[in-house]
Amino acid sequence: MTQTSSLAERRSARLAGAAPGPVQVRRSTADGDVIHIVQGEQFVSEDPNICIATLLGSCVAACLRDPVANVGGMNHFLLPGSDSPRGEAADLGIGVHAMELLVNALLAHGARRERIEAKLFGGARVVAGLTAVGEKNAKFAEEFLRREGIQHVGGSLRGDARRRLQYWPVSGRARQVFMASTAPELVARETKPIILPREEDSGELDLF
Amino acid sequence: MSKIILTVDDSRTMRDMLRMALVDAGFEVVQAEDGVQGLEVLTGAKPDVIITDINMPRMDGYGFMEGVRADPQHRAIPILVLTTESSAEKKMRARDAGATGWIVKPFDPQKLVDAINRVAA
Repeated sequence: MTQTSSLAERRSARLAGAAPGPVQVRRSTADGDVIHIVQGEQFVSEDPNICIATLLGSCVAACLRDPVANVGGMNHFLLPGSDSPRGEAADLGIGVHAMELLVNALLAHGARRERIEAKLFGGARVVAGLTAVGEKNAKFAEEFLRREGIQHVGGSLRGDARRRLQYWPVSGRARQVFMASTAPELVARETKPIILPREEDSGELDLF
Repeated sequence: MSKIILTVDDSRTMRDMLRMALVDAGFEVVQAEDGVQGLEVLTGAKPDVIITDINMPRMDGYGFMEGVRADPQHRAIPILVLTTESSAEKKMRARDAGATGWIVKPFDPQKLVDAINRVAA
């Protein structure tokens, strides 16, 4: 299976579709079509042949699906570390927004909140100095599901290793490969947390 | 006397974030989990401003706003829609249902407070 794409490709893909909506970098393989997402993106599909893939360090990917509506999707977010200048509430807001966007996208495809099953991946302790970031992300994701009453049916959080994650959103099957800690593009990304791109008008009042 | 804000959102996390932001700003907050509950608490709550999500189970934001406006007593309460949606079509539908304004999530606490004060004035 070919799933390699350069960081430059991913970057340009992210910029091309920064906001709003997901970027679609589709690669067709013998196993079906693979959609790669990066931090700040999400992808939702009703196609059983589609696989969503991402690379995770201290970031978290939430994989959600409704087994009755046959729709599912994945997001990929990173709450900044404790030295973030934005403050705790604003940091958590990044995660809340990422999760709400994914849940709403599923609902728009006929999913029902009470049927949604979630798997959580990532939140690893990967870089010295960012030790608390993975834990913060993992804990946020678990608490979000608990508070929202969304079933947490599996996944793989924490640990020391980066993950290559694949998720089939219709069947809910997930596969992860732990990666060597020296993968250069991941080190580059981990040491430089990206803040979610915000839509320009987000938070502004539009009066009718 | 502090203004009373009714928030309607199906996400517990979002309700908690809204309550925190609005109570900190000196408002009194009443909360509902969907449009049905929003209409149930409306008369007793006597809100000065309503903030509602769009995507909700049982009764969505459009149905809720139509329900609010159907009662002559509640024709004039400002309603702000706070949603992840930003399409022109949905905005128009909200306006037709009786919305006063539209704010795209993620919300900024200070901008939200400013918006409330602006429509409540």
